[in-house]
Amino acid sequence: MRKPLITLMLCFATAAGVAAERSDQSLTPVEGRPPAPELDLLDMEGVRHRMADYRGKVVIVNFWATWCPPCREEMPSMQRAYEQLREEGIEMLAVNIGENEDIIFAFTANYPVEFPLLLDLDSATIQNWPVRGLPTTFVVDPQGRLAYRAIGGRAWDDPDLLAPVRRLKD
Amino acid sequence: MTRLRLAAALALGAGIALMGAARGEAVWGVNGDTGLSFWHWRSDSVSVELVQRLPDQTRAFFLGRGFSAEAADAIGLGCVFQTIFKNTAPKGASTTLEYHLGDWRVRTEGQTRPPKLKEVWDQQWKEMGVSQAARIAFRWSLLPTSQRFDAGDYNWGMTSFGLAPGTRFDLDLVWHRDGKRETGRLANVECPRDLQL
Repeated sequence: MRKPLITLMLCFATAAGVAAERSDQSLTPVEGRPPAPELDLLDMEGVRHRMADYRGKVVIVNFWATWCPPCREEMPSMQRAYEQLREEGIEMLAVNIGENEDIIFAFTANYPVEFPLLLDLDSATIQNWPVRGLPTTFVVDPQGRLAYRAIGGRAWDDPDLLAPVRRLKD
Repeated sequence: MTRLRLAAALALGAGIALMGAARGEAVWGVNGDTGLSFWHWRSDSVSVELVQRLPDQTRAFFLGRGFSAEAADAIGLGCVFQTIFKNTAPKGASTTLEYHLGDWRVRTEGQTRPPKLKEVWDQQWKEMGVSQAARIAFRWSLLPTSQRFDAGDYNWGMTSFGLAPGTRFDLDLVWHRDGKRETGRLANVECPRDLQL
């Protein structure tokens, strides 16, 4: 009798903890909304992606690597967010820094995602973006400008975190 | 499960003689699973944590990213810590934090110097003929040399202090909160010993 009660209390405490952690998340508005730097990369399927291809859409651009713990941690929540956002016309791109297809392919066995994983093999692209550490994520508005940024991982399926992203469509 | 073996060196402002010293606490502990020590500075909105990385962990990481055995050994024995810097200000707070690793000071045996920055290592890798791909991996694996964080932002990355395994040192941390310089100290930090895994 006592054990189920303790289990219930633990579940409640865990859920409350997760909710508390999530509700404290934020995105930082990028001052002046400068134009997003160029991006012209192939994904794992060999498909070319350029920022210009996404004009008129909100795009989340994430920079990551497989060895980066917070990058790995946020990847499942990015997939869950993408499952919602793609229905709303919001795109997501994840730019891997300096790793080849074999390493990323092995990684996706444990972290399956459906959004494009782009290959910045020589890190030439990331050097044009205002990124100093991984992960860093930008939200690009329909005019192709940097609207928000997040340094470090986030739980991307948090509705509070995604609210300003969704508002960019308006 | 992480546990604290000792309660810790509580700085709480007193005992820190540096100008602009922030009120906070420095905690030392040992991860019960790995046996590795960590040192953690916490104050209002600021969290800096250093976790030991065994030389073999670091050697293996860089060998897997194209480093020669000689180069991997150099960084492996370079007193490397996994380092996490966070702006823990609550959502909506306007607190910004900025740091530059070149401002931090390593104090050991009467000597004072900054950490060994990735730019210094990179020059060494060039001279040793480390490949461009391996140098890219190295550059992004280390904590950024300087960074600005808004509320909720953080970074993980390795830091290196260029001291021999087992060396003890004090580390003076420096950051700027909304443009104002603040400091904290992690005392008696130990470079990871060269234990074979």
